[in-house]
Parts: sequence; C-alpha cells; structure tokens
Amino acid sequence: MTQTNRLNKGGRIDRQRILNFTFNGQRYEGHAGDTLASALLANGVNVVNRSFKYSRPRGIVAAGAEEPNAVMQMGATEATQIPNVRATQQALFEGLCARSTNPHSELLSTLGNLFAPLIPPGFYYKTFMQPASMWMTYEKVIRKAAGLGRSPRESDPDHYEHIKRHCDVLVIGAGAAGLAAALAAGRSGARVILCDEQEEPGGSLLDSRELLDGRPASAWVESVMAELANMEEVLLLPRTTANGLHDHNFITLYERRAEHLGDLVPEIDGRKPARACLHHVRAGQIVLATGAHERPLVYASNDLPGNMLAGAVSTYIRRYGVVPGKRLVVSTCHDDGYRAALDWAEAGHQVVAIVDARKHNDAATGHWVRLAAKQGLQIIYGSAVIEAKGKNRVTGARVAEIDIPEFQTRGSVTDLACDTIASSGGYNPVVHLASHTGARPVWRDDIMGFVPTKMTGLIPTGGATGIYALADVLKSGIEAGSEAALACGRQSPEIDLPEVDRIEIAQAAPLFQVPHPKTTLRAPKQFVDLQNDVTAAAIELATREGFESIEHVKRYTAMGFGTDQGKLGNINGMAVVARCLKKSIAETGTTVFRPNYTPVAFGAIAGPHRRELFDPERYTALHAWHVDRGAAFEDVGQWKRPWYYPQSTGESMHDAVARECRAVREKVGVLDASTLGKIDIQGKDVREFLGRIYTNKWEKLPVGKARYGLMCKDDGMVMDDGVTTCLGDNHFLMTTTTGGAAGVLEWLELWHQTEWPELDVSFTSVTDHWATLMVTGPEARHLLAEMTDIDLDRDTFKFMEWREGDVAGVPARVYRISFTGELSYEINVQAHYAMHVWKKLFEHGDKYGLTPYGTETMHVLRAEKGFIIVGQETDGSVTPEDLGMQWCVGYDKPFSWIGKRALTRPDTRREDRKQMVGLKPVDQTVVLQEGAQIVFEPKASPIAMVGHVTSSYYSPTLGHGFALAVVKGGQKRMGERVYLPMADGVTQVAEIVSPIFYDPKGERQNV
Amino acid sequence: MSKVEVFQQQPSGAVAAESPFHFSRQRNPLAPAKGEAGVIMAERPFLTHLILRGTPEVLLGGVRNVTGLTLPQTPCSMNSKEDKSLQWLAPDEWLLILPPGSEFSTEKALRGELGDGSYAIVNVSGGQTVLELSGPNAREVLMKSTSCDLHPRTFPEGRGVSTVFAKTGAIIRRPDAQRWELVIRRSFADYLYRWLLSAGAEYGITTQER
Repeated sequence: MTQTNRLNKGGRIDRQRILNFTFNGQRYEGHAGDTLASALLANGVNVVNRSFKYSRPRGIVAAGAEEPNAVMQMGATEATQIPNVRATQQALFEGLCARSTNPHSELLSTLGNLFAPLIPPGFYYKTFMQPASMWMTYEKVIRKAAGLGRSPRESDPDHYEHIKRHCDVLVIGAGAAGLAAALAAGRSGARVILCDEQEEPGGSLLDSRELLDGRPASAWVESVMAELANMEEVLLLPRTTANGLHDHNFITLYERRAEHLGDLVPEIDGRKPARACLHHVRAGQIVLATGAHERPLVYASNDLPGNMLAGAVSTYIRRYGVVPGKRLVVSTCHDDGYRAALDWAEAGHQVVAIVDARKHNDAATGHWVRLAAKQGLQIIYGSAVIEAKGKNRVTGARVAEIDIPEFQTRGSVTDLACDTIASSGGYNPVVHLASHTGARPVWRDDIMGFVPTKMTGLIPTGGATGIYALADVLKSGIEAGSEAALACGRQSPEIDLPEVDRIEIAQAAPLFQVPHPKTTLRAPKQFVDLQNDVTAAAIELATREGFESIEHVKRYTAMGFGTDQGKLGNINGMAVVARCLKKSIAETGTTVFRPNYTPVAFGAIAGPHRRELFDPERYTALHAWHVDRGAAFEDVGQWKRPWYYPQSTGESMHDAVARECRAVREKVGVLDASTLGKIDIQGKDVREFLGRIYTNKWEKLPVGKARYGLMCKDDGMVMDDGVTTCLGDNHFLMTTTTGGAAGVLEWLELWHQTEWPELDVSFTSVTDHWATLMVTGPEARHLLAEMTDIDLDRDTFKFMEWREGDVAGVPARVYRISFTGELSYEINVQAHYAMHVWKKLFEHGDKYGLTPYGTETMHVLRAEKGFIIVGQETDGSVTPEDLGMQWCVGYDKPFSWIGKRALTRPDTRREDRKQMVGLKPVDQTVVLQEGAQIVFEPKASPIAMVGHVTSSYYSPTLGHGFALAVVKGGQKRMGERVYLPMADGVTQVAEIVSPIFYDPKGERQNV
Repeated sequence: MSKVEVFQQQPSGAVAAESPFHFSRQRNPLAPAKGEAGVIMAERPFLTHLILRGTPEVLLGGVRNVTGLTLPQTPCSMNSKEDKSLQWLAPDEWLLILPPGSEFSTEKALRGELGDGSYAIVNVSGGQTVLELSGPNAREVLMKSTSCDLHPRTFPEGRGVSTVFAKTGAIIRRPDAQRWELVIRRSFADYLYRWLLSAGAEYGITTQER
C-alpha cells in the first residue's frame, strides 16, 4: 500500500528513512519522524477502532494526548504487549506492530446499532447489578466487549528505573511558554528541569504559521534548546510526561526512554537501557506550560472517520506532511479554525468551505479570516456543520444557519460534498495537573475555558492559563520563569523576546453543542465523549432523570471514564449539562481530575522493586554456611533464618526436625541466633529504667547475671520478652524477639524521651554487631570446653550467668541461658569472626554429634518446655497472668511499671479470660492444627468458641503430638477435655494439661 | 568490675575475618564494566565504628584529646582528618570511624578522659561497614536510592545524613568532592549490594578491592 495522503515535501519527517510497520496484521510504510497516527493517515487508513458501546467505526481525531479513538494494543510478541497506547503519541519504529484494542466485529456492530435505542445511559448499572454476585462475571465480558486492551501474559523482558530528583524550577511543557520560562529560569542559575511529553520539543511552534525573528518558529526552538542543553543546572527530559502533581510540589514524571526505539529495548553500547524511568521530583516552583487542547464541536454523526480537530489537521499537514483527505469543510467559531483551511489549501487540496458560527461583521476583522477571504476560500458565516454524512468515512457535511442563544437552526440545510470535516470550538487549557491536589479550576467567560486556580508554588503560563496569542505566550513564559527563579532566590537577567507580528484576533463565539433541526434526543447521535460513546442525548436524558451534579452525570453516563479521561469531551459535556439545566458552565463546574494524566506502564510504577529487590532480605554473618549446607529458610520479619537442614538424601521436613530435636535432647545442637534483637544500654539509671519497662524486678540483678523479662504495653498486654544481662553496674545488654527488635528500641526511646528524660540511660542497637551461636544439649559443656579458656564448671559458671573469654581464638561473651531446656551456652562474638568460630565448632563437634538446627526445631523444643513466643502464644490481647507467668510480675515494685495499672482493670481480672495451657491430643498420633478453634460442648448449637491452638508440633522426645493453646479459664480446668471441630467434619479431642511437657522441674538446664 | 564493661573484642592471633560484603562478593563476583565504568564501589572493611552518646559539653574535650577531632555540632555534618571521621547523627549521638583495630584502645582512652559522666560509648564495628562510591555517575546511583537532595548546593562536602536508602536505611556521607560513602548495616549489606549493582548497571559499575 502506498502513502496516498503523503505530501511530496514539507513536514519534519525524514523521507529517506522508510520504516515498515503493521496495523491489524496489514503491512504499511511510514517515515522516521512519523507517529503511528500520522503514518496511518498517510496510508489512508480511515477506521482505526470500533467504539465502546455501539461498535461504530472510528478514525483518528487528534494529534496528541487527547486522542480518544486511536488507542492501540502494541507489541510484536506476547511478552511485549502494551495496552492503551495512543497512536498519536507513539513514534513509529521499524517493525512496529499495533492492533486496534477493539477490532471490528460484524456481529457487535450490528447488535450495537440495532439495540442502540435500548442501551440508555446507566444501562450497565440498571442491567448488570443483579444478582450482585454475578458482577465479576459481567465485568469480564463487558471489559472484553468494550476493547479496553489487555495486559501481557508473559513477564516483561525489559527493565524500568526510578530516580528521585530535586529542582528549583520544574517547567512542564516545552512549547513556546515552557521554553521561554526554562530560558528565564535557566539563565538565573536556578536548578531547572524541563520536561515535554512529545517526541521533540516545541509544542505548537513545530507547526506554527507564525515567524519568530523572521524565521520559522522551529529555528527558535532549536536555538533555545541548544542554549538550555549547555546549562549545567538544566536537565532536559524529552518524551517525559508529568503524570501526577501531589502535595508540596511532588510530581511524578514518566520518561519513556525506549518506546520509540523498538518493540524490545535494543542494546546500546553493550548495555540495555531502561525502557522507562519514573522520576519522583520535588520542585521548589512548578511552571505549568502544558498548553491547551482544542475543543471539537458537537454535531450529529461527528464520530465518523474524517471528522477531526482543525488543529490536528494543521499538525498533520505541517509537521508530518500528511493531508488526511481531499476535500475539506471547516466548522469553527473562532479565528484559529481558519488555519486548517489555509494549510489545506496550501497543500494543494480543495477547501470546500469554512463554516463560521459568527456573523460576518464579528469575524471579518480577524487576521486569518481576512487571509482566507483574500485567498478566495468560501466562507459561510453565521452557520455550522450540523451533521456529517457517510458510512465508514465522511462523504458530506450538512450546513445550516444557527442561533446560538436560542439553540436552534434557521432556514434550510445545505449539503456540501467533502471527505473531511475539521471542527474547532476553541481551547481547553490543560489544567489537569493543577487540579490533581483537589483544587478546582475556574471558568473564565472571556476565554471560554477553565483555567487553574491559584496555588502556592505553581505558576501557570501560556495556553494553560488561557493566553493564546504567540507574542503574549512568550512574554508570559519569560515572566513565569523569572517569577519561579525569584521565588527560589535567583534573579533572571533581562531576556529579549523574539519578534513576532502581532495579529488581529476577532472575538470567538460560545459554541459547544451545535443545534440540529431535530431535537437532541431525536437527531442522529451527537457524540460528546467518543471513547466511551456518550452522546449529548444521553447527557440530556441523565439530567431529565434527575442527575444534576456533574459528578453524578459523569458516573451515570460514563462520560470521561475512558483511558483518555475525557480530555476531548468533558468540557463539551459540561456545556450540555449547563444548557439542559439552564445554568452557566461556571455553575456546573468540572469533575475531579486525578493522576495519571496519561496511562503509565505498570513496569514503570514497579521500577526496580521486584523479585529479589522487592523487599530486603537480611542475612546473618553465617548465611553463606547455611546456604552451602542446603538449609531451608524461613522468613522472620525481613530475616532469612534457617528453618531446618534437610540431609542431602532428600530427607523430609518431619524427619529432619525429628533428627535435629533428638540431637539437642541427646547430644548437642547449634542454632544461629544472631537475629535476636540486641540493645546495649548504658547509664546510671538503667536498673530503674528496666524496672519501669519490664514487668519484673531489676534493682537487685548483680553484675555477671542475666534475667528473663516480660514487656507489656500500657494496656497490660505482653509486647515482647527476652533476657537482659547485667554487664556492669551501668551497663546492660537487652535481647528482644527477632521481629520486635526495631519496635522495642523505639519503645524504649519513646518512654525515655517523652516520660522519663531525667533518667541517665541511652540505647544503641548492637543486633548486627554481635553474632550469636547457641550451643545446646547434654554435650554442650564438653564441646565448648575444648575450645575455650572459660571455666565451665557447673558451680563457677551457673545457669543465668555470663562470662568473657576466648572461644576458638576469638574474644567472646558466653551466656548460660536456654531456650531449649537443655544445658546451653550462647556464644557472642563480633560478627566479623562468627564464621571462624562456627566452623571451629564443627571441627570439634563431630565426635559429640554436633547438629545444626533451625527455627522449626527451636520451636518444638521451646514448646515442649512451655516457653512462649511473643506473637504466637500472644496476639496483643494476652497478659502475663493469662500466660501463667505471675512469677515474672513484680506486683510490689515501688514505681508503677508500664502495664501495671491495666492489670487491675475488671476485664483483666476476669476468671474466664483465655489462659495459656498445654493440650495433649487423646489420639497420640494426632498433631492438632495451629489456629484450630476450641469448644467445650461440641454438640451445642450455637457452638461457643472458648479458645484456639497457638502452637502445635509432633514431639520426637515425647513420642506424640502436643500443643499450646489459650482456653477460657483454662488454668483451672487441668485434666478436662476440650474439643476441636475441624473443617473436614472430624472433631479432635484433647486434654488440658500443664504447658510444660518436658523436664517440669528444669533440671536439665541447670546441670 | 568497672561500671561499664569494656571488652577487647579483637582476636590477638590470626583469625579469618569476614566483612559484611564477603558473601555478596562471593555470590555476585562483578565482572569489570564493559567500557568505562560510571560507578566504582569499594568497601572499606573492618574499620573501627564507635557510637558516642551524650551532650556536647560532656564529650567535646575528651573526644578532641583522644582523637584530635572536633565534635561536629551542626546537624548532619562531619569532621574528618586523614583516616578518622566524626559524624553528627542526632543531638546526642555521633559516629566515630577510625582505622581498623582501634576500638578497644580508643574506648578505654575516651572513658579515661571522660571519667564518670553521663555518656555512652558503644562498639558497633561488627555491625556496619563503609562502602565508597566514586565515578561520574555515583550521584545518579544514589539518587535512585534516596529521597535526599544530593546536589552540591544542598549536600556539600562534609555533609552526612542518616536516611532511607532503597527499602532500608543507610548513612550517606560526602567526605570530599570525588567520593561518597555509605555506612551500611551488616544484615542489609547483601540486599544493598544487589540493589546498587542493579542501579549502577546502566552506567557500568565495577568494584574495587582496597
């Protein structure tokens, strides 16, 4: 297929470089510099999509971000699928592969048109809401029929970056205003970021008819860009959309680094760049130079391919060398619409007529109007195109005289043969970003558009604030840039504006929906929102059904709900609402603008935070050994802890844990306990502080001794536990649970800083500094004795004491504390030397049967002893008394420790509180399920839950399953039976027993 | 026994020591960057890291006498001299980094100077390490990792902050115009190593053993 609509010269494309692409499976050619849209138009492709609701044919309407129809499913392979790409923003590249998101289906098309009268606004709400459970099913079908694109089913082979940036001035948009602002701010020495969403900077200057300093405007763009590129503190971000503006001038910029290069990101200099980068920018000042979107007119059948924005017609001709038709009718209510006709005529194609809604006298002073008249173009004043004719492409325009205030046509209707209708109803300043934080834009009658409301740190300029004459735009840009720089303490020098001829502009007429000889409800469809198939009639119907708020109308009709967020149609929709409710547009107001301005790839949102970088993994100093040994790992907080060490013979978890348990009970095992939180506490008042923080007593703990402590929140509920050691009179080492370490440190700081600043005490985390090797089992003393100079005699180094000495050539602190109930030595060495000591242990340990064990074995062993794990036996609603740990509560301490008062509340004194007990299944082969609900009377109805299983394991030592549980009043129910009805219908039976299953007198740890 | 237990934790004989990046370097040995490396990473392992807590009045004189460094009192600043540095971390907290092996003698000397006052000195040498970043794109790699503004106008030489870094925390310091230093916790070292390799890949990143 040849490029039938391509001009022989003109435009900013490179005719020497031919690029091949496919659209809906058909091969086409375009040129470097094309967008997918301009290339499709060059090839005379009329229909690019089918509509959402009625499956009507749709063509390209616009040339930028506001395009509602040319929405593509991109990607040559499954992995590179990207939905909802606007062809107008997609640069053409060799091998580009695109499909309509909603391709043609005869059936849907017929059904859509046949049943159109049966699909009123609110159709989906009215039809698919019952039964509610079916919505998930309906939604899938509707989504598919609506052509909303699809995500890839394979993982994305490209990667994405995030970067955080700070600047004094962020200029959004590199059109005339933005370039001028960046120049002013840049010359002041301020830190400037200039971003622009298009393939090249310049905005409307790239297709402007006007001259700057007597040269084409694009030459000025080049000179400004060259100067900015040389400024050290200016960062230029092309192909970068400012997507969201958040509180305190935080903006996200979506930079597409490789979308223009290929389906897959190609290697450049041996490195594969990121496909896209999300910039998180904190800007001192934001210059909003986003320009304006042209507003189409709403007339009957205005959705037929061949209906376009007047400005887009000019852009395709002047920037891409493409005339998207042969015979043009322009329908406009202001001067700028004439430019499309002038460009069309200059390209050598036929302008059938310019239809101007204004009377001759009101329009004729305009510069472009006079130029068109001078060139002999036919101008029909006081009229508008009221209806387009055609099936898959415009074949004619019906023109009639209109009375705007009365909203009616007058006289007869004239039919003009044409294939393209270019319409323009004026401009909508692009206020989206200025409204993202919730600020509502303000309507201005003089420019017939909404402009940004005043916001601190945000300076709208140029088209974004309703300034359209080029000379004024440049001036406002310079002023905005200077003002922004000044706000950041920088002075901009005087800047000479390029010379521009000031042209005469006649007042525009306020035309949105064009009247039709038939009423809105009876006329052929007049589309307001092309992407969501919302017509003027639907909006009128919504207002008749009582929807008065624009937000309600929006939701009822789905206006602006598409991926284009109603950029093209929303203001017209508001005008229709205003007309129906006999209100002004200012009174009608806008809907809320939300990020993102245009769709963002999920990959860019995720950035590098995926897979192994999604969440930090914390390793101990011994991690490499665990990996080599083939350990299975368990996540404990962010730590990776060895769970168990299966033998290479394919040992099951059950077998491995049983083996590890037996080794500790019968010989000796070693656990990497380095993840325990460790807090070094120094100061004269540590004992006093500990007495207030912990439930038990600390004033008499002597140097050289350690003590277990329970920590409660002020509500009396257990929050942490651990052993704290007295290293010196003013020096203690607190250990915390692995997961609670950071929280406990904050808790200590909180109480010290806010309640007891008079206490001399300070806390420093030493969790990462010390590696902790727990050697435990009957043979522990023999093993350690081979490696240390510490006297391990049972009478000199007793249980709950610590010593310093040499272990395997490394200075160590050794604590005789036990979480297994066996003879235990916890060796602490500086982490650098941990691997050395660990390996030495195994060199000596072979003959004693030294076995590394993981967290699962640790859990079984401690549960056999009835030792709690905070977060497993407790859940924030368990007091020390509920745990049966009254021995660990200093009721008579002089200072009211945290949680004490809460323990005297009636609720914490209740006798039927859930209390910790042991459970022994009656069937000894059963291992109860953790979390299983406990009842006293399994036959009762309703059945009352009286507790649940908190920990449950098989004990290789005891030879049966056992569990810890909380049961209402359980401590007084020893020996009673409880029942556990399970989901499979089986009811387990267990006996309430003491939670200490093994060595109840604690003799083994004292040996 | 003294009121605070100061403990020589360094072995006197030859004992294999592993820095926090030992495992990472083994698992992810870094091939030299193709072409010119934009970022060069170098660990400065086994340095002495001491945390000092107390008021400036209590610490100032003794610290100067023992280390020759002035206690920085401007928030987020540091004073360095040769291979020693002292960084403000909080109104009552400083990080003293010295050459390897000096933790015991320095703590002893400091306690001797400071006497019985209200202060704390904690040896954290095993729990953290210094990673140096240099090269033309070092700042970009850091910008990918932290929300801190690292521009020379706001982050001049001699500044150091403790802040969020990737999805954990780190201390970022700028001892001079050419180098950046990260002080990283041992348990997060491997995560941050992989993070930095990923962030530096587009510029070419290489490691340098020192």
